[in-house]
Amino acid sequence: MKRFGIFLMVAVFVMSIAGLSAAETTLEKIKRTGVFTVGARSASPPFGYINKQNDWGGFSIDLARLVNAALEKKLGQAVKFELKESTPATRIPLLTSMAVDLISGTMTITRARRESVDFSLIFFGTGAQFLVKKGSPIKGVQNIAGKRIACQQGSTNERVLREQYPKANLVIFPDQAAGYTALTQGKVDAYTNDGIQLWGLKYKSPKPDDWNVVGDWYTYEPYGMAMRPNDAEFRLVVDSALMDAIDGGEYFKIYDKWFGPKSDVPYPLSPEARTLLKLQVVPK
Amino acid sequence: MFFYGFLGISYDFRWSVLWTPPHTSWLIDGLLTTLRVSATSWIIAVLIGILVGALRTVPFRPLRIVATAYVEFFRNVPLLVWLFFWYFGAPEALPESARQWLIHHGAEFVCAVTGMSIYHGARISEVIRAGIQSIPKTQLEAGLSTGLSVTQVYRLIIIPTALRLIVPPLTNESLNLLKNSSLAMTIGVGELTFATRQIETYTAKAFEAFTAGTLIYLALCLGIAYVMNRVERKFAIPGLIVRAGRAEH
Repeated sequence: MKRFGIFLMVAVFVMSIAGLSAAETTLEKIKRTGVFTVGARSASPPFGYINKQNDWGGFSIDLARLVNAALEKKLGQAVKFELKESTPATRIPLLTSMAVDLISGTMTITRARRESVDFSLIFFGTGAQFLVKKGSPIKGVQNIAGKRIACQQGSTNERVLREQYPKANLVIFPDQAAGYTALTQGKVDAYTNDGIQLWGLKYKSPKPDDWNVVGDWYTYEPYGMAMRPNDAEFRLVVDSALMDAIDGGEYFKIYDKWFGPKSDVPYPLSPEARTLLKLQVVPK
Repeated sequence: MFFYGFLGISYDFRWSVLWTPPHTSWLIDGLLTTLRVSATSWIIAVLIGILVGALRTVPFRPLRIVATAYVEFFRNVPLLVWLFFWYFGAPEALPESARQWLIHHGAEFVCAVTGMSIYHGARISEVIRAGIQSIPKTQLEAGLSTGLSVTQVYRLIIIPTALRLIVPPLTNESLNLLKNSSLAMTIGVGELTFATRQIETYTAKAFEAFTAGTLIYLALCLGIAYVMNRVERKFAIPGLIVRAGRAEH
Protein backbone atom coordinates (compact mmCIF):
# COMPACT_ATOMS: atom_id res chain seq x y z
CA MET A 1 0.00 0.00 0.00
CA LYS A 2 2.85 2.33 0.90
CA ARG A 3 4.53 1.58 -2.40
CA PHE A 4 1.33 2.31 -4.26
CA GLY A 5 1.13 5.68 -2.51
CA ILE A 6 4.62 6.61 -3.62
CA PHE A 7 3.80 5.46 -7.14
CA LEU A 8 0.73 7.70 -7.11
CA MET A 9 2.72 10.70 -5.93
CA VAL A 10 5.30 10.17 -8.65
CA ALA A 11 2.56 9.77 -11.25
CA VAL A 12 0.86 12.99 -10.18
CA PHE A 13 4.18 14.82 -10.19
CA VAL A 14 5.06 13.60 -13.68
CA MET A 15 1.63 14.49 -14.96
CA SER A 16 1.80 17.98 -13.50
CA ILE A 17 5.13 18.56 -15.26
CA ALA A 18 3.58 17.23 -18.42
CA GLY A 19 0.65 19.58 -17.97
CA LEU A 20 2.97 22.54 -17.49
CA SER A 21 5.10 21.97 -20.51
CA ALA A 22 2.78 20.19 -22.88
CA ALA A 23 2.53 22.13 -26.10
CA GLU A 24 4.17 25.17 -24.56
CA THR A 25 5.47 27.42 -27.30
CA THR A 26 8.82 29.14 -27.04
CA LEU A 27 7.14 32.50 -26.50
CA GLU A 28 5.01 31.08 -23.70
CA LYS A 29 8.10 29.52 -22.13
CA ILE A 30 9.99 32.83 -22.25
CA LYS A 31 6.99 34.70 -20.85
CA ARG A 32 6.62 32.21 -18.00
CA THR A 33 10.32 32.05 -17.07
CA GLY A 34 11.35 35.58 -18.05
CA VAL A 35 14.55 34.17 -19.51
CA PHE A 36 15.69 33.89 -23.10
CA THR A 37 18.44 31.24 -23.39
CA VAL A 38 20.70 31.30 -26.41
CA GLY A 39 23.19 28.63 -27.45
CA ALA A 40 26.36 30.39 -28.57
CA ARG A 41 29.88 29.42 -29.57
CA SER A 42 32.68 29.91 -27.06
CA ALA A 43 35.73 29.54 -29.32
CA SER A 44 34.65 30.82 -32.73
CA PRO A 45 35.75 34.43 -32.99
CA PRO A 46 34.31 36.74 -34.11
CA PHE A 47 30.89 35.03 -34.04
CA GLY A 48 30.97 33.87 -30.47
CA TYR A 49 33.88 33.52 -28.08
CA ILE A 50 34.97 34.11 -24.54
CA ASN A 51 37.55 36.87 -24.47
CA LYS A 52 40.58 37.39 -22.26
CA GLN A 53 38.42 39.11 -19.65
CA ASN A 54 36.27 35.96 -19.59
CA ASP A 55 33.26 37.73 -21.14
CA TRP A 56 31.12 36.44 -23.96
CA GLY A 57 31.20 38.45 -27.13
CA GLY A 58 30.68 38.09 -30.82
CA PHE A 59 28.72 38.99 -33.89
CA SER A 60 26.11 36.24 -33.49
CA ILE A 61 25.71 37.07 -29.82
CA ASP A 62 25.06 40.74 -30.59
CA LEU A 63 22.46 39.71 -33.15
CA ALA A 64 20.82 37.47 -30.56
CA ARG A 65 20.66 40.48 -28.22
CA LEU A 66 18.57 42.22 -30.87
CA VAL A 67 16.19 39.27 -30.77
CA ASN A 68 16.09 39.62 -26.99
CA ALA A 69 15.08 43.28 -27.34
CA ALA A 70 12.37 42.30 -29.84
CA LEU A 71 11.10 39.68 -27.40
CA GLU A 72 10.87 42.23 -24.59
CA LYS A 73 8.88 44.49 -26.88
CA LYS A 74 6.61 41.69 -28.02
CA LEU A 75 5.94 40.29 -24.53
CA GLY A 76 5.87 43.67 -22.79
CA GLN A 77 8.13 42.50 -19.97
CA ALA A 78 11.82 42.39 -19.12
CA VAL A 79 13.51 39.27 -20.48
CA LYS A 80 16.82 38.07 -19.09
CA PHE A 81 19.42 37.25 -21.76
CA GLU A 82 21.31 34.05 -20.99
CA LEU A 83 24.06 32.33 -22.94
CA LYS A 84 24.97 28.66 -22.98
CA GLU A 85 27.83 27.06 -24.80
CA SER A 86 26.82 25.03 -27.82
CA THR A 87 28.95 23.08 -30.29
CA PRO A 88 27.97 21.60 -33.65
CA ALA A 89 27.44 18.27 -31.96
CA THR A 90 25.33 19.55 -29.06
CA ARG A 91 23.28 22.35 -30.55
CA ILE A 92 20.37 20.34 -31.92
CA PRO A 93 19.94 18.24 -28.74
CA LEU A 94 20.12 21.46 -26.69
CA LEU A 95 17.25 22.88 -28.71
CA THR A 96 15.15 19.72 -28.70
CA SER A 97 15.51 19.27 -24.97
CA MET A 98 14.37 22.90 -24.35
CA ALA A 99 17.74 23.72 -22.76
CA VAL A 100 18.11 26.66 -25.14
CA ASP A 101 15.54 28.60 -27.14
CA LEU A 102 17.72 29.75 -30.00
CA ILE A 103 21.04 28.74 -31.51
CA SER A 104 22.97 31.78 -32.63
CA GLY A 105 26.46 30.81 -33.54
CA THR A 106 27.95 29.55 -36.75
CA MET A 107 25.29 27.11 -37.89
CA THR A 108 24.98 26.54 -41.61
CA ILE A 109 21.46 26.19 -42.93
CA THR A 110 21.15 22.80 -44.63
CA ARG A 111 18.17 20.88 -45.91
CA ALA A 112 18.92 17.88 -43.69
CA ARG A 113 18.99 20.14 -40.64
CA ARG A 114 15.71 21.70 -41.71
CA GLU A 115 14.09 18.33 -41.06
CA SER A 116 14.80 18.80 -37.35
CA VAL A 117 14.97 22.55 -36.74
CA ASP A 118 13.68 25.76 -38.23
CA PHE A 119 16.06 28.47 -39.38
CA SER A 120 15.89 32.23 -39.41
CA LEU A 121 16.86 34.12 -42.53
CA ILE A 122 20.51 34.01 -43.59
CA PHE A 123 22.54 36.42 -41.47
CA PHE A 124 25.97 35.65 -42.89
CA GLY A 125 27.40 33.81 -45.89
CA THR A 126 30.78 32.12 -46.08
CA GLY A 127 32.46 28.98 -47.47
CA ALA A 128 35.01 26.42 -46.36
CA GLN A 129 38.74 27.05 -46.80
CA PHE A 130 41.98 25.93 -45.14
CA LEU A 131 44.13 27.55 -42.48
CA VAL A 132 47.78 26.63 -43.04
CA LYS A 133 51.18 27.70 -41.83
CA LYS A 134 52.92 30.21 -44.10
CA GLY A 135 54.75 28.38 -46.87
CA SER A 136 52.57 25.27 -46.70
CA PRO A 137 52.25 23.29 -49.97
CA ILE A 138 48.47 23.19 -49.47
CA LYS A 139 46.85 25.75 -51.74
CA GLY A 140 43.30 24.48 -51.60
CA VAL A 141 41.10 21.43 -51.75
CA GLN A 142 42.99 20.20 -54.87
CA ASN A 143 46.11 19.17 -52.96
CA ILE A 144 45.00 17.71 -49.65
CA ALA A 145 45.36 14.03 -50.66
CA GLY A 146 47.47 12.18 -48.11
CA LYS A 147 47.69 15.25 -45.87
CA ARG A 148 46.52 15.35 -42.30
CA ILE A 149 43.57 17.72 -42.25
CA ALA A 150 41.96 18.69 -38.95
CA CYS A 151 38.29 19.51 -38.94
CA GLN A 152 35.48 19.89 -36.50
CA GLN A 153 33.06 17.07 -35.92
CA GLY A 154 29.57 17.76 -37.20
CA SER A 155 30.53 20.62 -39.49
CA THR A 156 29.33 20.68 -43.08
CA ASN A 157 32.88 20.87 -44.43
CA GLU A 158 33.88 17.71 -42.59
CA ARG A 159 31.05 15.97 -44.36
CA VAL A 160 32.07 17.25 -47.81
CA LEU A 161 35.68 16.20 -47.29
CA ARG A 162 34.72 12.76 -46.05
CA GLU A 163 32.39 12.15 -48.95
CA GLN A 164 34.18 13.86 -51.83
CA TYR A 165 37.87 13.81 -50.88
CA PRO A 166 38.39 10.39 -49.30
CA LYS A 167 42.15 10.57 -49.90
CA ALA A 168 42.60 13.31 -47.31
CA ASN A 169 43.63 12.00 -43.91
CA LEU A 170 40.99 13.54 -41.66
CA VAL A 171 41.66 14.12 -37.98
CA ILE A 172 38.35 15.04 -36.44
CA PHE A 173 38.07 16.97 -33.17
CA PRO A 174 34.92 17.72 -31.20
CA ASP A 175 35.72 21.43 -30.95
CA GLN A 176 37.57 24.16 -32.76
CA ALA A 177 40.08 24.85 -29.99
CA ALA A 178 41.53 21.31 -30.21
CA GLY A 179 41.74 21.35 -34.00
CA TYR A 180 43.41 24.75 -34.02
CA THR A 181 45.92 23.77 -31.33
CA ALA A 182 46.77 20.63 -33.31
CA LEU A 183 47.53 22.88 -36.29
CA THR A 184 49.66 25.33 -34.35
CA GLN A 185 51.68 22.40 -32.97
CA GLY A 186 52.20 20.98 -36.44
CA LYS A 187 50.27 17.81 -35.63
CA VAL A 188 48.14 18.39 -38.72
CA ASP A 189 48.96 20.05 -42.04
CA ALA A 190 45.85 22.21 -42.24
CA TYR A 191 42.74 23.05 -40.31
CA THR A 192 39.59 23.45 -42.33
CA ASN A 193 36.45 25.32 -41.45
CA ASP A 194 34.31 28.12 -42.80
CA GLY A 195 36.62 30.76 -44.25
CA ILE A 196 35.49 33.57 -41.97
CA GLN A 197 36.16 31.51 -38.86
CA LEU A 198 39.67 30.78 -40.13
CA TRP A 199 40.22 34.52 -40.57
CA GLY A 200 39.07 34.89 -36.98
CA LEU A 201 41.59 32.29 -35.79
CA LYS A 202 44.37 33.87 -37.86
CA TYR A 203 43.80 37.31 -36.38
CA LYS A 204 43.44 35.95 -32.87
CA SER A 205 46.75 34.09 -33.06
CA PRO A 206 49.83 35.70 -31.50
CA LYS A 207 51.48 36.07 -34.94
CA PRO A 208 48.74 36.50 -37.56
CA ASP A 209 51.32 36.79 -40.37
CA ASP A 210 52.45 33.20 -39.82
CA TRP A 211 49.10 31.83 -40.94
CA ASN A 212 47.34 31.89 -44.29
CA VAL A 213 43.76 31.20 -45.22
CA VAL A 214 43.97 29.43 -48.59
CA GLY A 215 41.77 27.93 -51.29
CA ASP A 216 38.50 28.74 -52.99
CA TRP A 217 35.32 28.08 -51.08
CA TYR A 218 34.68 24.37 -51.55
CA THR A 219 31.33 24.62 -49.77
CA TYR A 220 28.72 27.36 -49.43
CA GLU A 221 27.80 28.05 -45.82
CA PRO A 222 24.83 30.32 -45.22
CA TYR A 223 24.57 30.94 -41.47
CA GLY A 224 21.19 31.10 -39.78
CA MET A 225 19.80 31.05 -36.27
CA ALA A 226 18.13 27.76 -35.38
CA MET A 227 15.03 27.16 -33.32
CA ARG A 228 12.58 24.40 -32.50
CA PRO A 229 10.46 23.49 -35.53
CA ASN A 230 6.87 24.55 -36.14
CA ASP A 231 6.91 27.54 -33.85
CA ALA A 232 5.85 30.16 -36.38
CA GLU A 233 5.18 32.94 -33.89
CA PHE A 234 8.64 32.79 -32.33
CA ARG A 235 10.28 32.41 -35.69
CA LEU A 236 8.56 35.58 -36.88
CA VAL A 237 9.90 37.49 -33.88
CA VAL A 238 13.42 36.29 -34.68
CA ASP A 239 13.15 37.05 -38.40
CA SER A 240 11.53 40.44 -37.80
CA ALA A 241 14.29 41.41 -35.42
CA LEU A 242 16.87 40.55 -38.09
CA MET A 243 14.89 42.29 -40.85
CA ASP A 244 14.48 45.44 -38.76
CA ALA A 245 18.19 45.38 -38.05
CA ILE A 246 19.10 45.06 -41.73
CA ASP A 247 16.52 47.65 -42.74
CA GLY A 248 17.33 50.12 -39.98
CA GLY A 249 21.10 49.80 -40.32
CA GLU A 250 21.64 48.22 -36.89
CA TYR A 251 22.93 45.05 -38.56
CA PHE A 252 25.61 46.98 -40.44
CA LYS A 253 26.75 48.74 -37.27
CA ILE A 254 27.20 45.38 -35.60
CA TYR A 255 28.91 44.08 -38.73
CA ASP A 256 31.28 47.01 -38.63
CA LYS A 257 32.00 46.38 -34.95
CA TRP A 258 33.15 42.81 -35.60
CA PHE A 259 34.32 42.84 -39.23
CA GLY A 260 35.03 46.52 -39.98
CA PRO A 261 38.47 47.90 -40.81
CA LYS A 262 39.19 48.68 -37.14
CA SER A 263 38.02 45.30 -35.86
CA ASP A 264 40.14 42.27 -35.05
CA VAL A 265 38.97 40.44 -38.17
CA PRO A 266 38.64 42.93 -41.04
CA TYR A 267 36.31 41.33 -43.56
CA PRO A 268 34.54 43.84 -45.78
CA LEU A 269 30.95 43.07 -46.66
CA SER A 270 30.85 42.23 -50.37
CA PRO A 271 28.19 43.89 -52.55
CA GLU A 272 26.71 40.44 -53.19
CA ALA A 273 26.40 39.73 -49.48
CA ARG A 274 24.79 43.14 -48.94
CA THR A 275 22.25 42.41 -51.70
CA LEU A 276 21.55 38.96 -50.25
CA LEU A 277 20.80 40.52 -46.86
CA LYS A 278 18.64 43.32 -48.27
CA LEU A 279 16.57 41.00 -50.46
CA GLN A 280 15.57 38.92 -47.45
CA VAL A 281 13.80 41.85 -45.84
CA VAL A 282 10.14 41.45 -46.78
CA PRO A 283 7.67 44.37 -46.48
CA LYS A 284 5.90 45.03 -43.19
CA MET B 1 6.82 10.73 -29.80
CA PHE B 2 6.02 7.71 -27.70
CA PHE B 3 8.59 8.33 -24.95
CA TYR B 4 8.86 12.06 -24.87
CA GLY B 5 5.37 13.07 -25.90
CA PHE B 6 4.33 13.42 -22.29
CA LEU B 7 7.07 15.98 -21.71
CA GLY B 8 5.66 18.18 -24.39
CA ILE B 9 8.60 17.62 -26.69
CA SER B 10 7.57 16.54 -30.13
CA TYR B 11 10.18 14.21 -31.51
CA ASP B 12 9.93 11.98 -34.50
CA PHE B 13 11.79 8.71 -33.92
CA ARG B 14 13.57 7.24 -36.91
CA TRP B 15 15.55 4.21 -35.82
CA SER B 16 16.45 3.37 -39.40
CA VAL B 17 19.28 5.93 -39.26
CA LEU B 18 21.21 3.28 -37.34
CA TRP B 19 21.26 0.78 -40.18
CA THR B 20 21.39 3.22 -43.08
CA PRO B 21 24.81 3.12 -44.78
CA PRO B 22 27.33 4.38 -43.88
CA HIS B 23 26.16 4.81 -40.30
CA THR B 24 26.39 1.11 -39.40
CA SER B 25 30.00 0.94 -40.55
CA TRP B 26 30.78 4.04 -38.46
CA LEU B 27 29.36 2.31 -35.41
CA ILE B 28 31.36 -0.84 -36.13
CA ASP B 29 34.56 1.14 -36.73
CA GLY B 30 33.91 3.07 -33.54
CA LEU B 31 33.28 -0.13 -31.59
CA LEU B 32 36.50 -1.70 -32.91
CA THR B 33 38.50 1.42 -32.05
CA THR B 34 37.01 1.44 -28.55
CA LEU B 35 38.02 -2.20 -28.13
CA ARG B 36 41.50 -1.55 -29.51
CA VAL B 37 42.12 1.47 -27.25
CA SER B 38 40.64 -0.27 -24.21
CA ALA B 39 42.34 -3.63 -24.67
CA THR B 40 45.78 -2.12 -25.29
CA SER B 41 45.40 0.27 -22.36
CA TRP B 42 44.08 -2.50 -20.12
CA ILE B 43 47.03 -4.80 -20.74
CA ILE B 44 49.55 -2.03 -20.08
CA ALA B 45 47.58 -0.75 -17.09
CA VAL B 46 47.45 -4.20 -15.48
CA LEU B 47 51.19 -4.68 -15.99
CA ILE B 48 51.86 -1.27 -14.44
CA GLY B 49 49.34 -2.08 -11.73
CA ILE B 50 51.00 -5.36 -10.75
CA LEU B 51 54.46 -3.80 -10.72
CA VAL B 52 53.51 -0.68 -8.78
CA GLY B 53 51.07 -2.54 -6.52
CA ALA B 54 53.81 -4.99 -5.55
CA LEU B 55 56.35 -2.19 -5.08
CA ARG B 56 54.01 -0.52 -2.62
CA THR B 57 54.18 -3.55 -0.33
CA VAL B 58 57.91 -4.32 -0.53
CA PRO B 59 59.94 -3.81 2.63
CA PHE B 60 62.19 -1.19 1.00
CA ARG B 61 61.13 2.38 1.70
CA PRO B 62 62.56 4.33 -1.31
CA LEU B 63 60.75 2.00 -3.74
CA ARG B 64 57.53 2.38 -1.77
CA ILE B 65 57.85 6.16 -1.89
CA VAL B 66 58.38 6.18 -5.65
CA ALA B 67 55.39 3.89 -6.17
CA THR B 68 53.20 5.97 -3.85
CA ALA B 69 54.21 9.19 -5.59
CA TYR B 70 53.31 7.70 -8.96
CA VAL B 71 49.90 6.56 -7.77
CA GLU B 72 48.97 9.80 -6.05
CA PHE B 73 50.21 11.95 -8.91
CA PHE B 74 48.39 10.14 -11.67
CA ARG B 75 45.12 9.17 -10.04
CA ASN B 76 44.43 12.62 -8.59
CA VAL B 77 44.25 14.52 -11.87
CA PRO B 78 41.21 14.04 -14.13
CA LEU B 79 41.80 11.66 -17.02
CA LEU B 80 40.62 14.28 -19.51
CA VAL B 81 43.38 16.62 -18.36
CA TRP B 82 45.89 13.79 -18.72
CA LEU B 83 44.71 13.10 -22.26
CA PHE B 84 45.18 16.74 -23.21
CA PHE B 85 48.58 16.65 -21.56
CA TRP B 86 49.74 13.53 -23.40
CA TYR B 87 48.45 14.77 -26.74
CA PHE B 88 49.01 18.52 -26.68
CA GLY B 89 51.78 18.76 -24.10
CA ALA B 90 54.12 15.78 -23.92
CA PRO B 91 54.94 15.32 -27.65
CA GLU B 92 56.21 18.91 -27.78
CA ALA B 93 59.07 17.86 -25.52
CA LEU B 94 60.17 15.09 -27.88
CA PRO B 95 63.04 15.61 -30.34
CA GLU B 96 61.70 16.80 -33.69
CA SER B 97 62.35 13.52 -35.54
CA ALA B 98 60.57 11.46 -32.87
CA ARG B 99 57.72 13.95 -32.88
CA GLN B 100 57.29 13.71 -36.65
CA TRP B 101 57.42 9.93 -36.46
CA LEU B 102 54.72 9.95 -33.80
CA ILE B 103 52.53 12.33 -35.81
CA HIS B 104 52.67 10.07 -38.84
CA HIS B 105 52.04 6.91 -36.87
CA GLY B 106 48.74 7.65 -35.21
CA ALA B 107 49.69 10.18 -32.53
CA GLU B 108 46.05 10.34 -31.41
CA PHE B 109 45.83 6.61 -30.69
CA VAL B 110 49.25 6.37 -29.07
CA CYS B 111 48.65 9.38 -26.82
CA ALA B 112 45.20 8.14 -25.80
CA VAL B 113 46.60 4.70 -24.88
CA THR B 114 49.49 6.30 -22.99
CA GLY B 115 47.17 8.52 -20.99
CA MET B 116 44.68 5.78 -20.21
CA SER B 117 47.32 3.17 -19.29
CA ILE B 118 49.19 5.42 -16.91
CA TYR B 119 46.05 6.74 -15.25
CA HIS B 120 44.36 3.37 -14.89
CA GLY B 121 47.67 1.71 -14.01
CA ALA B 122 47.75 3.94 -10.94
CA ARG B 123 44.22 2.94 -10.02
CA ILE B 124 44.71 -0.77 -10.68
CA SER B 125 47.90 -0.80 -8.58
CA GLU B 126 45.80 0.24 -5.59
CA VAL B 127 43.48 -2.69 -6.19
CA ILE B 128 46.43 -5.06 -6.34
CA ARG B 129 48.04 -3.57 -3.25
CA ALA B 130 44.77 -3.94 -1.36
CA GLY B 131 44.62 -7.57 -2.47
CA ILE B 132 48.11 -8.33 -1.23
CA GLN B 133 47.60 -6.50 2.05
CA SER B 134 44.28 -8.18 2.74
CA ILE B 135 45.99 -11.53 3.24
CA PRO B 136 46.40 -11.95 7.02
CA LYS B 137 49.93 -12.07 8.32
CA THR B 138 49.16 -15.42 9.94
CA GLN B 139 49.10 -16.98 6.47
CA LEU B 140 52.68 -15.95 6.00
CA GLU B 141 53.59 -17.28 9.42
CA ALA B 142 51.68 -20.52 8.88
CA GLY B 143 53.40 -20.97 5.54
CA LEU B 144 56.81 -20.35 7.06
CA SER B 145 56.12 -22.81 9.85
CA THR B 146 55.51 -25.57 7.31
CA GLY B 147 59.05 -25.03 6.06
CA LEU B 148 58.43 -22.84 2.98
CA SER B 149 60.68 -19.87 2.19
CA VAL B 150 59.29 -16.30 2.04
CA THR B 151 59.39 -16.29 -1.77
CA GLN B 152 57.60 -19.61 -1.83
CA VAL B 153 54.93 -18.34 0.54
CA TYR B 154 54.38 -15.31 -1.71
CA ARG B 155 54.37 -17.39 -4.90
CA LEU B 156 52.30 -20.33 -3.62
CA ILE B 157 49.96 -18.78 -1.06
CA ILE B 158 49.76 -14.98 -0.94
CA ILE B 159 49.77 -14.03 -4.61
CA PRO B 160 47.33 -16.73 -5.77
CA THR B 161 44.92 -15.78 -3.00
CA ALA B 162 45.33 -12.07 -3.61
CA LEU B 163 44.68 -12.41 -7.34
CA ARG B 164 41.45 -14.24 -6.59
CA LEU B 165 40.36 -11.64 -4.08
CA ILE B 166 40.85 -8.69 -6.41
CA VAL B 167 38.69 -10.01 -9.24
CA PRO B 168 35.61 -7.96 -8.24
CA PRO B 169 37.42 -4.61 -7.82
CA LEU B 170 39.49 -5.34 -10.92
CA THR B 171 36.28 -5.91 -12.86
CA ASN B 172 35.15 -2.53 -11.64
CA GLU B 173 38.37 -0.88 -12.81
CA SER B 174 38.20 -2.66 -16.16
CA LEU B 175 34.66 -1.42 -16.74
CA ASN B 176 35.76 2.09 -15.82
CA LEU B 177 38.63 1.88 -18.26
CA LEU B 178 36.35 0.79 -21.07
CA LYS B 179 33.91 3.61 -20.37
CA ASN B 180 36.69 6.18 -19.98
CA SER B 181 37.94 5.32 -23.46
CA SER B 182 35.12 7.59 -24.66
CA LEU B 183 37.28 10.55 -23.59
CA ALA B 184 39.78 9.67 -26.31
CA MET B 185 37.37 11.34 -28.70
CA THR B 186 38.49 14.74 -27.43
CA ILE B 187 41.96 14.20 -28.90
CA GLY B 188 40.71 12.98 -32.25
CA VAL B 189 40.33 9.22 -31.75
CA GLY B 190 37.27 7.98 -33.64
CA GLU B 191 35.91 5.61 -31.03
CA LEU B 192 32.35 4.57 -30.25
CA THR B 193 31.10 7.79 -28.65
CA PHE B 194 32.65 9.68 -31.53
CA ALA B 195 30.74 7.47 -33.98
CA THR B 196 27.41 8.01 -32.23
CA ARG B 197 27.98 11.76 -32.24
CA GLN B 198 28.93 11.53 -35.88
CA ILE B 199 25.60 9.90 -36.69
CA GLU B 200 23.84 12.45 -34.54
CA THR B 201 25.43 15.41 -36.29
CA TYR B 202 24.72 13.99 -39.74
CA THR B 203 21.12 13.01 -39.09
CA ALA B 204 20.12 15.20 -36.13
CA LYS B 205 18.68 12.01 -34.61
CA ALA B 206 20.23 12.37 -31.17
CA PHE B 207 18.05 9.94 -29.24
CA GLU B 208 18.54 7.10 -31.72
CA ALA B 209 22.29 7.61 -32.03
CA PHE B 210 22.92 7.89 -28.29
CA THR B 211 20.57 5.00 -27.54
CA ALA B 212 22.66 2.85 -29.87
CA GLY B 213 25.83 4.02 -28.09
CA THR B 214 24.27 3.35 -24.68
CA LEU B 215 23.21 -0.16 -25.62
CA ILE B 216 26.60 -1.05 -27.12
CA TYR B 217 28.47 0.16 -24.02
CA LEU B 218 25.98 -1.66 -21.81
CA ALA B 219 26.40 -4.88 -23.78
CA LEU B 220 30.19 -4.60 -23.68
CA CYS B 221 30.25 -3.93 -19.94
CA LEU B 222 27.76 -6.68 -19.13
CA GLY B 223 29.84 -9.03 -21.27
CA ILE B 224 33.01 -8.15 -19.38
CA ALA B 225 31.21 -8.43 -16.03
CA TYR B 226 29.83 -11.85 -17.02
CA VAL B 227 33.23 -13.19 -18.05
CA MET B 228 34.88 -11.83 -14.92
CA ASN B 229 32.12 -13.38 -12.81
CA ARG B 230 32.80 -16.74 -14.39
CA VAL B 231 36.50 -16.30 -13.78
CA GLU B 232 35.80 -15.38 -10.17
CA ARG B 233 33.64 -18.45 -9.63
CA LYS B 234 35.94 -20.83 -11.44
CA PHE B 235 38.95 -19.85 -9.37
CA ALA B 236 37.14 -19.21 -6.11
CA ILE B 237 38.50 -20.73 -2.93
CA PRO B 238 35.63 -22.45 -1.09
CA GLY B 239 36.20 -20.62 2.19
CA LEU B 240 36.28 -17.25 0.47
CA ILE B 241 33.32 -17.58 -1.89
CA VAL B 242 30.88 -17.54 1.02
CA ARG B 243 31.99 -14.01 1.85
CA ALA B 244 31.83 -12.99 -1.78
CA GLY B 245 28.34 -14.43 -2.14
CA ARG B 246 27.01 -12.59 0.86
CA ALA B 247 27.86 -9.22 -0.65
CA GLU B 248 25.21 -9.66 -3.29
CA HIS B 249 22.33 -9.32 -0.86
